[in-house]
Amino acid sequence: MNDNAMQKSALSPAMPWILAAAILIVLPFIFTGGGSITIMNQIGITIVLAMSYNMLLGQGGMLSFGHAVYMGIGGFVAVHVMNLVENEYMWLPLPLLPLVGGLVGLGFATIIGSFSTRKAGTVFAMISLGIGELIAACCIIITVFFGGEEGISGDRTMAPPTFGIEFITQKEVYFLIAFWVLLSTFCMYLFTQTPVGKMANAVRDNPERAEFVGYSQRWVRYVSFCAAGFFAGVAGALFAINYEILTEQNLNLNMSFQVLLATYIGGVGFFLGPIFGAILFTLLQTVIGLQTDLWALYTGLVFILMVMFLPAGLTGLFAMHMIPIQLGRVGMLIKPYSKIFFPGLAFVIGIIALIELINHVRHHGEEQFMTLFWVEFDTTSFVPWGLFALMTIVGFYISRIFAKEVAEAWGEATFVEGERS
Amino acid sequence: MSVDALKLDNVKKNFAGTEIIRGLNLSVAQDERHAVIGPNGAGKSTAYNLITGRYQVSSGKVFLKGEDITNLQPYEVKRKGLSRSFQITNIFPKMSVFENVRCSLLWAMGYKYSFWHMVGNQSKLNNDAEEIIEELNLKDRRNTLAGVLSYAEQRALEIGITIAGGSEVILLDEPTAGMSVSETEYIVGLIRKVTEGKTLLVVEHDMGVVFDLADRISVLVYGEIIATGTPTEVKENQAVQEAYLGAAMEEH
Repeated sequence: MNDNAMQKSALSPAMPWILAAAILIVLPFIFTGGGSITIMNQIGITIVLAMSYNMLLGQGGMLSFGHAVYMGIGGFVAVHVMNLVENEYMWLPLPLLPLVGGLVGLGFATIIGSFSTRKAGTVFAMISLGIGELIAACCIIITVFFGGEEGISGDRTMAPPTFGIEFITQKEVYFLIAFWVLLSTFCMYLFTQTPVGKMANAVRDNPERAEFVGYSQRWVRYVSFCAAGFFAGVAGALFAINYEILTEQNLNLNMSFQVLLATYIGGVGFFLGPIFGAILFTLLQTVIGLQTDLWALYTGLVFILMVMFLPAGLTGLFAMHMIPIQLGRVGMLIKPYSKIFFPGLAFVIGIIALIELINHVRHHGEEQFMTLFWVEFDTTSFVPWGLFALMTIVGFYISRIFAKEVAEAWGEATFVEGERS
Repeated sequence: MSVDALKLDNVKKNFAGTEIIRGLNLSVAQDERHAVIGPNGAGKSTAYNLITGRYQVSSGKVFLKGEDITNLQPYEVKRKGLSRSFQITNIFPKMSVFENVRCSLLWAMGYKYSFWHMVGNQSKLNNDAEEIIEELNLKDRRNTLAGVLSYAEQRALEIGITIAGGSEVILLDEPTAGMSVSETEYIVGLIRKVTEGKTLLVVEHDMGVVFDLADRISVLVYGEIIATGTPTEVKENQAVQEAYLGAAMEEH
């Protein structure tokens, strides 16, 4: 980092937060379409959940397969509290409900973490998997609390109005969620700057050495784990507010894997990674999910490709490009990038089209015509099959050739002579 | 007479029935620089692991400034004022040099598991960390990830992590292993500087370094101390020469 950049960041530590707040306020006025607020609410919830998950995976080196449990429990209690408020057994304005969810998540994490954080690595992962299964099974058994298969539902609008707002519209809920997203993100950021937050990184990197500088690795993990539980609980309560229903699906292993996926796609090594992951994942799930039944397949493919070729995630991809930008050599990349763009796009479209064609014939074979990429065509004709297969093969072949050029240009753009003295 | 800074009383260690450490007795006085030498496999690193709680002692006692620290956890031993380095570099590779040093200071400066302090605002903590980095001569590597430092720099950082937090008793495990002559000079100078006024126990293979640095030397052979004394005494000791020093001594 040069002096100029240092000065900038020292001058305005509040700037990114003000900017984030401004973006959150403006967003619902830009994306006004019917479903967009709903999607943004979902993104907000996923952001809080994925960021809390990254406190474990990215910051603390704990691979959890059951993080949705803490969100789920927080959410279920939040719905119950909502019902208590509705029936006037207690008084609580809706905007404070996430705090309740958080405390429940924290409480539950305090119990589970007391034994699960004893060891890291495989032991921790297996315990989290076991707890995840256990709680998901409890959902069906303990119907008083979890409501069985239909879950528990409530009504957020029955809470006492906050400054006259009753949270009837999605937009009102959006601002509630946006507030908590910002607050949670801010708190989680502050956590990374505390002694125990720093030691979480140290324990992740080298647990043994952390012990030899005076810290019990178990306690360090435990504190992170409890904090992550708290914010997962916040996400759960936000979910409860947004959807007014929680079911077993919100805390089962499938949900936990989705959190893992979203966080990983975003990039576990970066504080902001889970935010990008949550956005991309939710868009895949909702926008792509509306277009095709196969969204989970595409998400899985993106995940596998990320793990194989881009383990640092989306944020890692941005961060990679900071080097040529700082060196002022982005120009060198534009040509090879634009060269590979069209063959690459042809390949992606071709392969998606083939997958969709096969899926259409297998599951909707009775309909002769299908629409894909805004074009309607005859699935029984040879033309689309041949065309898409050609696109896939030629696109792949040309991309391979240009990929070498990209790699060479990349090497040149990031080459620093005599970096080491 | 003052209490020994570190004292091992008939410490034994078995691994799967085999006695690796066979009754180790060692006293290191306050402010002394004490070296342990011995052939490979003599049990030097094992002795360190027993002292610092990495391994459990099978029998015997370890005392730090008169206090029994036998079989405490590594972090408890550290909190009582004993700090160690490792033969194989043992740092926090994905953290910057600065973060490595700062993390090593946290407990000693009383922050414990705090999640209510912002480390960025703790001026004493940050100044101390900067000072240590300055001492290590790693100032222009301050923001570099520890994992990509050169070997000698990593060894220096290893020492920095060990001395950060001002432990009174420092155990160094082969600090100059695998280093060039100039790097060795740098590290020895560094050790001398940063362990000023502290008790030092050092395991080392380089006899030049040992005789240069140590006030007293103990010779460990097959899990037992066969001699302890000043460098001259040890050099002249018949048993030591037979058991170990012979070839190594002729070079000096």
